[in-house]
Amino acid sequence: MASKEGVERIAETALRTLGGWTAMLRMPAPASAGSSAEELGLATPQFQDFPLGPATFRKAESTAKLLVAASAVKKIIGAGSGLDGQFDSADVLFEEAAGVVVDGVVYEITDSVALSAEGGEYCWCLSLKAPVR
Amino acid sequence: MQNAKDTFYEVLRGRLAALNPDRTIVLRGVTRPGVLVEENELITDVAEPDCFRMRWTKTATDANGALPMVIQQCEISYETAGTATNAGMDRGRMLAAMDGELLAVLKEAPQNAVKVNYAGLAFGHAAVSMQTNVWWSGVNFGPETMKNDRVMRTATIEVMSFQEAGER
Repeated sequence: MASKEGVERIAETALRTLGGWTAMLRMPAPASAGSSAEELGLATPQFQDFPLGPATFRKAESTAKLLVAASAVKKIIGAGSGLDGQFDSADVLFEEAAGVVVDGVVYEITDSVALSAEGGEYCWCLSLKAPVR
Repeated sequence: MQNAKDTFYEVLRGRLAALNPDRTIVLRGVTRPGVLVEENELITDVAEPDCFRMRWTKTATDANGALPMVIQQCEISYETAGTATNAGMDRGRMLAAMDGELLAVLKEAPQNAVKVNYAGLAFGHAAVSMQTNVWWSGVNFGPETMKNDRVMRTATIEVMSFQEAGER
């Protein structure tokens, strides 16, 4: 029987084979406390991009669903990623994110679902909304 | 027009913080009074509960006076799931409390404020008071509606101001 880690590695290999590129998770810096400029839209926060890969779109002809290896998400949430363990759940991480950058286009994350087997997540499926063009 | 919008938000935020300091939200890691302007925040599909979300909609002008008068409609939406300790069974009471807070801050005298230009804040300068006022109408409460486990309401209010010479 496959272990949690084994399933994770199989998913990672499958994602690499099917596309294998790296998207970037765009996170806003924490807001400045008591800053009217930010609350009034006069100042924008700094953004930091975190690699999210291997990743691939669920269907080649659609950018609506992005599959991301769970190991990449764990790396961002874990210590030493630059976020210093600020997020104890991937759901909150994706809610707080400004979006996912793919080929220079920023997609809004509208939903995130963990795909799991053997008692652990092996992949995250992100629902994306493309910018109006 | 932007100055009137900014001034109205600042008034609402200040009065709400004074009336109920516990009505707060955490946005991007910072705790602040529980009111926000949607167009000034990051685009998101997540609707924060237990706070007031302002959205500017219609704008009309009346050019008959010495200065053009601008009337801007502001929708203020709010929703709550009640408290977890009460299994959400107090959500109606929580919404009524928010109705009361909104009414109190908007009916509080004076129902006007000196218009302020906040544009300088972007460059580290102070906000500048202008020559005219911003004033607002009574609140028009919409129906209470259900949204999954939350109850929500949208109230509308008209904010009036004079467009001063040279103001953009």
